[in-house]
Amino acid sequence: MATDFWSSSHHKRWIVDRATLKQARSDDLQYVENTEQLDFLNIYFGNLIVKLGQRLQIRQRVIATAAVFFRRFYIKNSYCDTDPFIVIAACCYVAAKAEEQPIHIKAVVSEARQLFGQEEYGGKHFPSDNSKLAEMEFYLVGDLECDLTVFHPYRTLTTLCGKEPGHAMPGAEAGEVVGVGVDDGPRYWGTGEGKLVLEEGALQMAWFIINDTYRSELCLLYPPHLIAIAALYLTLILHPKTRAAVQGAGSSTRRSARQSRPPQDFVEWLAGLRVSHTLVTTVVQEIVSLYSLWDRFREDAPGEGDSGSARGVFARGASAGTKRTRETGSSIEDGVVTPASLSRLLFDMRRMRMEDLAHPPSGRPLAVNKMLERTQASG
Amino acid sequence: MPTSPVRGFRIGRASTAVKRFFPGEDDEDAPKWSPAVRTQVYPPPSTARFIPGTAVPTPSSRPVPAEQSTAQSLDVKTVNPPLETPQHQQPEHHLPTAATPAKPSLQQALHLRDSATSANSPQVSSGELYEIVSQVGEGTFGKVYKARNSLNGLHVALKRIRMETEKDGFPVTAMREIKLLQSLRNDNVVQLYEMMVSNGMHLSSLRSAYMVFEYMDHDLTGILAQTQFQFTDAHLKSFCRQMLAGLAYLHRKGVVHRDIKGSNILVNNRGELKLADFGLARFYQKRRKSDYTNRVITLWYRPPELLFGATVYGPEVDMWSAGCIMLELFTKKPIFQGNDELHQLEFIFKILGTPTVEQWPSVVNLPWYELVKPKEFMPSHFRDFFKKWLSPAGLDLAEQLLAYDPQKRISALDAMRTPYFLTEEPPEARPVDLATLEGEWHELETKRERAKKRRRTEEGKMTQ
Repeated sequence: MATDFWSSSHHKRWIVDRATLKQARSDDLQYVENTEQLDFLNIYFGNLIVKLGQRLQIRQRVIATAAVFFRRFYIKNSYCDTDPFIVIAACCYVAAKAEEQPIHIKAVVSEARQLFGQEEYGGKHFPSDNSKLAEMEFYLVGDLECDLTVFHPYRTLTTLCGKEPGHAMPGAEAGEVVGVGVDDGPRYWGTGEGKLVLEEGALQMAWFIINDTYRSELCLLYPPHLIAIAALYLTLILHPKTRAAVQGAGSSTRRSARQSRPPQDFVEWLAGLRVSHTLVTTVVQEIVSLYSLWDRFREDAPGEGDSGSARGVFARGASAGTKRTRETGSSIEDGVVTPASLSRLLFDMRRMRMEDLAHPPSGRPLAVNKMLERTQASG
Repeated sequence: MPTSPVRGFRIGRASTAVKRFFPGEDDEDAPKWSPAVRTQVYPPPSTARFIPGTAVPTPSSRPVPAEQSTAQSLDVKTVNPPLETPQHQQPEHHLPTAATPAKPSLQQALHLRDSATSANSPQVSSGELYEIVSQVGEGTFGKVYKARNSLNGLHVALKRIRMETEKDGFPVTAMREIKLLQSLRNDNVVQLYEMMVSNGMHLSSLRSAYMVFEYMDHDLTGILAQTQFQFTDAHLKSFCRQMLAGLAYLHRKGVVHRDIKGSNILVNNRGELKLADFGLARFYQKRRKSDYTNRVITLWYRPPELLFGATVYGPEVDMWSAGCIMLELFTKKPIFQGNDELHQLEFIFKILGTPTVEQWPSVVNLPWYELVKPKEFMPSHFRDFFKKWLSPAGLDLAEQLLAYDPQKRISALDAMRTPYFLTEEPPEARPVDLATLEGEWHELETKRERAKKRRRTEEGKMTQ
């Protein structure tokens, strides 16, 4: 958007702290066993947004905006009080409009019906009535407080790497409707000059890592430029060739490097960015823990939904030591979750919430034996 | 890295309607409408909300009326966060309560209530915030009302975004306008204070969103039509410069307005001029010119390249409209009043002469060139026509604004640096005495009268 990040509502109002997120999940927490399940739900919802977005053929940027809208909505609402599936559909619909790539409401409804009707999502009934989605959209826009401008790390990434937005990037910002090249204010990641020269593959990996961050609440916690820099940092480590270059630069003498065209000193370049590296490290840690959690998440159809993700690369590196056998239909106790088990969890959360609301508040029954209930529910 | 001092505390609560959208099974008998019109005010009236970083109002030369300082003191309250995180709401509090059905009458719908969303400002959390005074206009996608803020007595303009007629939900044009306005702040662009959402549960006629603008007393069409207050050449020069300053700002921000016309240019009693109605505006690419819709800009203000079918265009289209407005300031009526596209072009040719290929080389490549090209040569009568109204430097500027070739048309920034503003007498003067004008130019009847007349005279005229 033609306004700069520092004066945007994104920066002023929609970057929150952990305490706020914890507060936002406090109702949901009553119906799950541990916070990890909520983290799994974050991945689950993130995946669903990507899947619906791919079905609707909206660009990655629009998908990312939809994800941010979804997270923002659930700062104020609880999963157990709402139907996250229709919220996801509404988020995609609003994001497409807000990013100037509008799609027809009918398309959203029918794709959402097909996707959410699948067995692994509990064969959800999704209302076929357009007006339902339109109504949800209205409440969504209300809870978003009409702040429809979202900043994403992609822009920082392409600028830091000296790429024109939309240049040879998958699903990139070609035809972006934001005022690219217009008066943007100061570069909002707060650094001066300098471009990072990365090869195409490495750049793509950084791009994919950013895609993956939308499976967590990172976009609510940190400004986009920090996420972009963290993704670059991870790329320097994870991308084989680039890592070799980093290590090479460390061992080779500075003098010899200066003679011809010096290979870029990535470490120095990173250090030269005027950002809080402590924060960047924190973001890196968060991304790493997202991947290790995600490693225990099994899509029923393997590989599906993994396009545009750097997960595979990461998993290869991470699972080198630990080999895990894959068990379909295994439950959460095994440390592996599936969309089906999470769909069930969501369903149970909603059901228990309804029961609690039906017997208000004098003695809110604590759902003591949830394991038992779940076993019974699953037959 | 600058961080917001109020991290984590600014997010309000969920709309209560969301809770009702997902009712529990037991709620089936509950009323299907909201007990009253619930409106969320995001945030409480504030002049600094959408353009963050300006909580301290920019010093301007204009006198700040007492009312405005009230608004500023309100501001201070709202930016002070409470010491604790907002209490997480108990859903029981938001279950529908049995109440007498709200009649979807206009009056009720417009008595907007502030609700719990502004969790950080309990002092304004109840009561009706805005009271409708009158209807003052018709925007691209809804009615515009004059309303009074019951807390500080300030007037605002409420632009209602029609939702009930929209099968596709929130109109994309409204979304575009909101996004644009949220990112703009300039003395010559009308300011969006805030957005309000009014939830009429299951009653789509009650469901609407309002854009809350600063109130402007007149629009240019209206104020030029009145005869009570005589504008001097210095006043008109001021209007002209303010319009150009607004356009220069928009174009620097990468925004084309695409609907510059008299009724979209607002004037207040302090003689300040502001551009309004961004329903057709959009961001454009400075480096890449993309294809846009050709059907923009009210016919009388539409530049020749659009009439020749161009779909690749930029901010120059606004500059043509600005040229039309500049002349209109002096002549008091629109200068090219065509009935349809062809007639519009004929009108332009009659005054400016027919365009030649030397003058405008790329005209032959435009889509409809063969269809609408002039049949016979006509010379320009521009100077003859307008020399009795405009000064020589004024004529020079108007001619540059009305250059046929968009590439040769003067930019807003350059226009502000022409001798007309810099050297020629008289220097501009804002019509500050406008406050003495009897305030009839925003009243419902006048506007309706004018609208009726406009409809009659503009029969067949196309917008967009």
